[in-house]
Amino acid sequence: MTATISHTRLRVLFAFFAVASLLLSARLAYWQTAGRADLLSRATDQVHSDLVVAAQRGVIRDRNGAILATTVELRSLYAIPGLMTDRDGKDTRPAVAAALAPLLGERPEVLRAAFDSGAEWLFVRRRLPEDTAVRIAALHLAGLGFEMEPKRLYPNGAVGAQVLGFVNDDGVGQYGVEGRYAEELRGTPGRLVVARDPANRELALGLRTAVPARNGDDLSLTIDLAVQNAVERELAAVVDREKATGGAIVVLDPKDGAVLAIASSPTYDPARVGSADAEALRNRAISWTYEPGSTMKAITVAAALDKGVVTPSTSYQDVGYAVIGGRKLCNALCKVYGPTTVTQILARSQNAGAVFVASKLGAADLNAYLQAFGFGQRTGVDLSAETGGIVRPLAEWYPVDLGTISFGQGLSVTPLQLASAYAAIANGGTLYRPYVVASRRDADGEHRTAPVAVRRVISEETSRTLVTMLTITVDNGIANAAALKGYSVAGKTGTAQIPSDDGSYVDDAYISSFAGFVPAIDPRMVVVVVLEKPQSKLLGTVPAMNTFKAIATDALRYARVQPDRP
Amino acid sequence: MTFAQAVRAPQARRVQHRLHRQAVPHHRAASRQAAATRVRTTSWEIRSFLLASGVIVSCFLLVLLYLAQATAVSAAGYEAQRLAAQRDELRRQNALLMIESARLDSPARVETEAQRLGLVRAATIRVVVTEAAAATR
Repeated sequence: MTATISHTRLRVLFAFFAVASLLLSARLAYWQTAGRADLLSRATDQVHSDLVVAAQRGVIRDRNGAILATTVELRSLYAIPGLMTDRDGKDTRPAVAAALAPLLGERPEVLRAAFDSGAEWLFVRRRLPEDTAVRIAALHLAGLGFEMEPKRLYPNGAVGAQVLGFVNDDGVGQYGVEGRYAEELRGTPGRLVVARDPANRELALGLRTAVPARNGDDLSLTIDLAVQNAVERELAAVVDREKATGGAIVVLDPKDGAVLAIASSPTYDPARVGSADAEALRNRAISWTYEPGSTMKAITVAAALDKGVVTPSTSYQDVGYAVIGGRKLCNALCKVYGPTTVTQILARSQNAGAVFVASKLGAADLNAYLQAFGFGQRTGVDLSAETGGIVRPLAEWYPVDLGTISFGQGLSVTPLQLASAYAAIANGGTLYRPYVVASRRDADGEHRTAPVAVRRVISEETSRTLVTMLTITVDNGIANAAALKGYSVAGKTGTAQIPSDDGSYVDDAYISSFAGFVPAIDPRMVVVVVLEKPQSKLLGTVPAMNTFKAIATDALRYARVQPDRP
Repeated sequence: MTFAQAVRAPQARRVQHRLHRQAVPHHRAASRQAAATRVRTTSWEIRSFLLASGVIVSCFLLVLLYLAQATAVSAAGYEAQRLAAQRDELRRQNALLMIESARLDSPARVETEAQRLGLVRAATIRVVVTEAAAATR
C-alpha cells in the first residue's frame, strides 16, 4: 500500500524547515560576526589566568651585612570544612580539630567552633612557623590546605625595632626605615597572563604575557648591630634600675653624621606589634622633645667662644645666682663658687655662669647659634616621624629667656638634635645631617648615601678649645663618672626640670642626661643618654654617665679603637 | 579491472579508434606507436599518483611532526613549571636558613647563651700599641 502525502503538508513542512534554517543561519552569522568577541572572551576566560606577581620586599642589613629585616613566604593554613570527611563520608571535623589543637597551641573547641561556623573556606592560622607547617602537612588531614603568604621577619627580635619600624598586615611599612623607605622597599608588582590546563597548570603553548615584578631595593644601614645591641641592653638595664618612665640613647659617628645606634624605651617587638602600646611605638630619640638642661651650656659657651666675647679663662665672680630680666636664676642648690672661669662654668655646671656667658653674647647671637646648631628644626634624618623641637622666635623671647635658655630651659630638643650638635663640636665645627641608610641597592646597582654637611657652625679653633674644656669637665669636673680608663672623654651632664601642663614645672622629677664623645681627640662616636624621671632624681646624671661608659667601653672594644691615654 | 585501468579505458578506446581509422598497410607500425603512447600515458599517471601520494604523506608527516613538537613543548613546559616550583621552594628554604643563621648570630642571643653557660665579660683588656711594638723590632 502506498501512502500519499498532500502537497499542502509538504509545503508547510518545507516552509518550516526553510524558516528554521534561516533563523539558525542568522543566529550563526550573528555569533560569527557581532557576537564573536563575547564568545571569544568567555572561552579565553575559561583557560587564561591573569595573576599579579608580588614583588619581594627589600632586605634591610646593618653596616656589616647582618640581616635586620627580610621577607619570606610562609605557609598559611586554611580549611574547607565541607571537605572534612573520610572515605565513608563520615564527618572528621572533631578529629581534625583535635589533631591540630596541640600543634597550633589552641583549644580543640575553638577550632571546632571555627569549622562549624558555616564558612565554606577560612584561614585557620596565617603565616605559620615552618616547622609547625611541616608537622601539620605530615598529618595529611582532609579539608586542610596551605597558601603561601609573605611575612616580614626580624631575626634580631626587638633589637633595632625603633630604627627599623615594622610592616603591617597589608604590607605597608610603618615607622622607622620601613616607613620612611616604604616606597623603595616595596618594589613594583608584575603581571602574568597565561593559559592553563584543567589541572590549573600553566601551558607552555598559547597566550603568555609576563611583566616581571621589580623587587624592592635592599638597604644597608649605618647601624652597627653590635653597638645597637649594646645600646639597647644598657638602656633597658638603666631604665629598669632607675625605674625611669622612659629613655633614649643616640650614637653618632661625628665625622659624617652616620647613626650607629638609636634606642628608645619603652620599645616593642616588631613580631608582636599588635600587643604593643602606642607609647612604645614612639622613637623617643627623634619624636620626643625635652628641655635639655645643662648639656646646653656647651652650646652657649661654644657660641660665646666663637663670637669671641669670652675665652676659657674669662672669669666672673659667682655669687650663687644671676639676676636677669628681673628674675633670679640660681646655681644647683644655690651653691656659691666665687671667682670662676668659663672653663670652670662647664666643669661645675654653674647656671649663673651660663647666664654670665649668655649676657656677654646677647639674645640675638645666642638665638642665631641655636638655629645654626640645628635646634628648633628637624635634623632631616631619614626616619619617619621626626619632630623639630621648640626654639621660640627671638621676637617672642622675654629678657629672662636669655638666661634660662643658656642653661637649657625654655626650649626643647630631641636627643638626636643634641647628638648632632655635639657631633659638630667634636668634628671641628661642621654640622652634618644625621642619616641611617648608608646605601640602597636596586637593579641598577648600589647607590651610596653621600654625607651632607649642612653648615659650618663654629670655627675649628673654637671646636678645639671647647673639646679641651669638655675634656676637663670629664677629667676633673662634674662629669667625672663618665671617665674611661685609657681613653680621653669629652662631655657634659644635664639635669632638667619637666614642664607641667599648668606652665610651671613638675615637682621632684627630672630628666637626666649625658652628652659626650670619645676619644676626645679624633672622636669615633658621640653618645647622648637621656633618662626620663629616674629615681635618682637630681643624681640621675650618674646612671646616665655609667650608661655612657658601658656603651663606650663595648663600642670601643668592638671597633678595636686604640687607647689614646696610658 | 583496477581503478586505474577503469580510468584509463575510455582514453585507450579513443586511441584505438584513431588507429583503426588510419591506413591498413601501416598496421604493424601503428601498433608500435600505440604501444609507445600507452607507455607514455601510463608513466604520466604513475607520476601523478606518486606525486599526489607524496604530497599526502608529506602533509601527514608534517602534521605528525607538528604534533610531536607541540607535545614535546607542552611536556617541556610542564617540566619547566615543575622545576620553577622546585627552584622557588629551594629559594624559600634558603631564605629561611639565612634568617635562622642571622637569628643564631644575633649578639643578643649570643650574650644570653654566654650567660647561660656562665661566661662573664673580661674585666680588663690589654691593648698592645702597634707603633710601640713596631719600634722595638
